[in-house]
Amino acid sequence: MLRMDKNDHAAIRAVLSGDKEAYGALVVRYSGKLFRVAFRITGNEADAEDVVQEAFLRGYRKLEGFESRSDFGTWIYRIAVRCALDKIGSSRVDENSRVGEESDPEQNEVQVADLSAGPDRLLLSREIGAMQEIAMHSLTPTERTAFVLRHMEERTSEEIAAALGIAPNAAKQAVFRAVQKLRCRLAALRVKV
Amino acid sequence: MNHLTEEELIAHAYDEDDKDAVEQHLKACAECSETYTALRSDLAEMKFEDVPARDAFYGNRVWESISRLLPVYEARKQSWLRGGMRRGLSYAAACAVLVTCAFIGGRLWERRQTQTVAENHSQQKKQSVTHPPERVVVVVLSDHLDRSERLLMELKHADADSAEMVSPLRDEARSLLAANRTCRQNVKHNDDPALATTLARLDHLLAELANQPEGLNSTTITRLQEEMNADRLLFEVRVLRSRQAASTAQPKKGTI
Repeated sequence: MLRMDKNDHAAIRAVLSGDKEAYGALVVRYSGKLFRVAFRITGNEADAEDVVQEAFLRGYRKLEGFESRSDFGTWIYRIAVRCALDKIGSSRVDENSRVGEESDPEQNEVQVADLSAGPDRLLLSREIGAMQEIAMHSLTPTERTAFVLRHMEERTSEEIAAALGIAPNAAKQAVFRAVQKLRCRLAALRVKV
Repeated sequence: MNHLTEEELIAHAYDEDDKDAVEQHLKACAECSETYTALRSDLAEMKFEDVPARDAFYGNRVWESISRLLPVYEARKQSWLRGGMRRGLSYAAACAVLVTCAFIGGRLWERRQTQTVAENHSQQKKQSVTHPPERVVVVVLSDHLDRSERLLMELKHADADSAEMVSPLRDEARSLLAANRTCRQNVKHNDDPALATTLARLDHLLAELANQPEGLNSTTITRLQEEMNADRLLFEVRVLRSRQAASTAQPKKGTI
């Protein structure tokens, strides 16, 4: 890890000295990691790829402000989280309308009724997954991102706070609200199943 | 017993609390334990869509797609240099302005100082005209009268035929003549007719002694001795010297 950091810093120095290609090594090294978190936040493959590209572009532009004491991986990860947050924030209107439709209790009941009626457990599992995705879309961008970082990426409240640019306590609260909302939306499904 | 809130249970599930205290409570409280079990079950069920796998060349593809959009930092460095140059020029201009201001300020200050000194000088001159430094004049006059008295004494007892005696008299007379004229100028401002008269006579005598074209001869010496005796010049000089000595010992109030 330490050797990798040294390599990262050497690459950054090279980039700042005019060797643009040196940034390529950093992009290759961290693209997978950024795609993973971007996909989890956006929930969409195409959006996640856009986020990865945008994150590296932003990182390149801000590279002069990168402090040599920091870890490039953590730094670019945070930028990617911000990009993903922007992405889901920009498409929030569409999501809200979709969530609004899906959050109709009657519609949920209909879907659940259909699920319980079917004997195929695989189909049931897929439907539960779909419902969870819908439940995720009911969260605010901050709640969703905080939850993804805590529940899936296993980041601490401090790391989440740093990535989102909020106070650690606010990050904790965002995770708490997200879990509450998700449990509430999934409760009905569990009862019916 | 206070039950744990949902927030506390969630924090415990994510290991962000006082683990031991909560564990202890959960062991003691069946209701909280049940709620916590349900929460853990819900969290465990929250398994979302797996992240689609990216192949080994994904990073390269990302780089290919963005590399053409990135400017070379060298160009930015040049712009930084240009910025640095601009900053440098700004500093240089600021320094030049400061130096110019300092120079002009210095010149003005110098001129003002010179003017002040000149004003002070002229004021002093004016003051010296209206209020001559009496004490200094007194001292010089006293000295002058002392020297003059000695010269007159030597003249009185001079052997007219001895060139060795006459020559120093002439030199001393020349020296005293200049001093005597200075004293006369200063005495003009004092209301002291006795002193002015004596110095005038002394001036005449000193001029005779100092400026004989063919040098001092016995005839001239004799004539000057007779004039000096006739005018009682030696006596008057003595009187004035005594008076000056007395005034030097007890200077007037306000004199230096």
